[in-house]
Amino acid sequence: MLGFSTRSDKARAEFEGLVAPWLDALYGGALRLTRNERDAEDLVQDTVMRAYRFFDKFQRGTNFRAWLFKILTNTFINGYRRQVKERSLGDESERQSVEAQFFSSDTTDQAQNPEDYLVQRVMSEDVLKAIDTLPIDFRMVVILADLQEFSYKEIAEILDVPVGTVMSRLFRGRRQLEAVLRKDEHEAAAPLVDLNAYRERKKLG
Amino acid sequence: MNCPDVDPLLMPYLDGEVVEADRLEVEQHLASCEPCAKRSERSRHHRTLVRTLAKAGTPAAPEALKARVFTTIRSEQTRQRQRRFLRLSAAAAGVALCALAGHHQWRSFQRRLYVEDAASRHARQFPLEVRLPQPEALEAWFDGKLGHRVAVPRFPNATAEGARVLNVREKQAAYIRYDAPTRASAQPRQVGLFVFGDNANDVDVGARGEPSLGNSNGYNVVTWREGDIVYQLVTDLEEDDIRELLPSEPGRAPLPTARQPLEAQPASFRR
Repeated sequence: MLGFSTRSDKARAEFEGLVAPWLDALYGGALRLTRNERDAEDLVQDTVMRAYRFFDKFQRGTNFRAWLFKILTNTFINGYRRQVKERSLGDESERQSVEAQFFSSDTTDQAQNPEDYLVQRVMSEDVLKAIDTLPIDFRMVVILADLQEFSYKEIAEILDVPVGTVMSRLFRGRRQLEAVLRKDEHEAAAPLVDLNAYRERKKLG
Repeated sequence: MNCPDVDPLLMPYLDGEVVEADRLEVEQHLASCEPCAKRSERSRHHRTLVRTLAKAGTPAAPEALKARVFTTIRSEQTRQRQRRFLRLSAAAAGVALCALAGHHQWRSFQRRLYVEDAASRHARQFPLEVRLPQPEALEAWFDGKLGHRVAVPRFPNATAEGARVLNVREKQAAYIRYDAPTRASAQPRQVGLFVFGDNANDVDVGARGEPSLGNSNGYNVVTWREGDIVYQLVTDLEEDDIRELLPSEPGRAPLPTARQPLEAQPASFRR
């Protein structure tokens, strides 16, 4: 009893050590998949729990991050997709709270120039909103490629599709994203996609 | 390479996902074709912008979530441990049950062998070594012949004919033959009784030491135990007649009233 209890403590400690560095990344991905904080938190928790349960199936030395994201996307596809669709209209207040959170938080790369920082924040929000408008198949590939910087091959393994499918989804997803941002650009008084141009305009105005 | 060849390679090129040879060709083309170079530059710019801004706008996981995740892992570990323990206990219980069942089967198989051997030896009518009707005289005759004292049971209605030493399987036994009356006919029937020591408890007499009724070769065999001594009574008497014969013995449980399975008793013996 003692022997096996220390063995399982060791496995748990190993798992905790492996998963801890990726919780932020998982949460970031989950936020874009579910498009609201509450579901994102639940999704991360479910993902980590399932990963822990299947940890003995994980082959040591292989790509743990990709393995985690495979579980994340599978968990999302199996359990969250419908649920999220049903309440996609009702989450405006939660979106507000996301904004509130990262306007108030002065975390990572607060630029020397506070104006740059603010501009970047606003533009970030536009990019994330644009990603959220993508159909789920394109969105998953864009999240994995541009947010998480997985290689085509890793994405193909995570989503269980051929590399060719990854490429075509990524191509179409990015093109659609570009179109959305360009549309914003035309609607907005200032083109938000070009930081320098935006700053120039501010100076002029 | 011309423009239509380069176009599908542009995105993988920007992502660093083309093989070396393709990369060189794409770069060569971009150096010489301004529209493609512009397009590529715009794509690169867009890609960098999206990546930078999306990452900058993504908040870290809330500390409360991280704490909750680790708490859940620990409680899941406890649950797993309990589940594993339960599974292990269930498996152990299963093994024990199989062993018990196996042991039980083995015991009843052994008993069956003793019943068969007693019946077949009784059937062969071995000659008696001594003919004495008094139980006391028979007990005196057996004295010193076997590794145990032989108490010759007194059956009120049956009279002893005589006795001899006769094995049941590997056990050296006292064999006493009686004549017993029956209710169905005037002709007395022969009853053989084996008495042997069994301190190793090789013969399973069934629960609570009650007499057990078996059947072999058309004979009913009643087996009971008194301490280390096993008695096997072999007869072609009916069950009811056996009941008449046996209950008077003091200190012994009566023959069970519920009919034991009398395995395939020939109809001729049921009358």
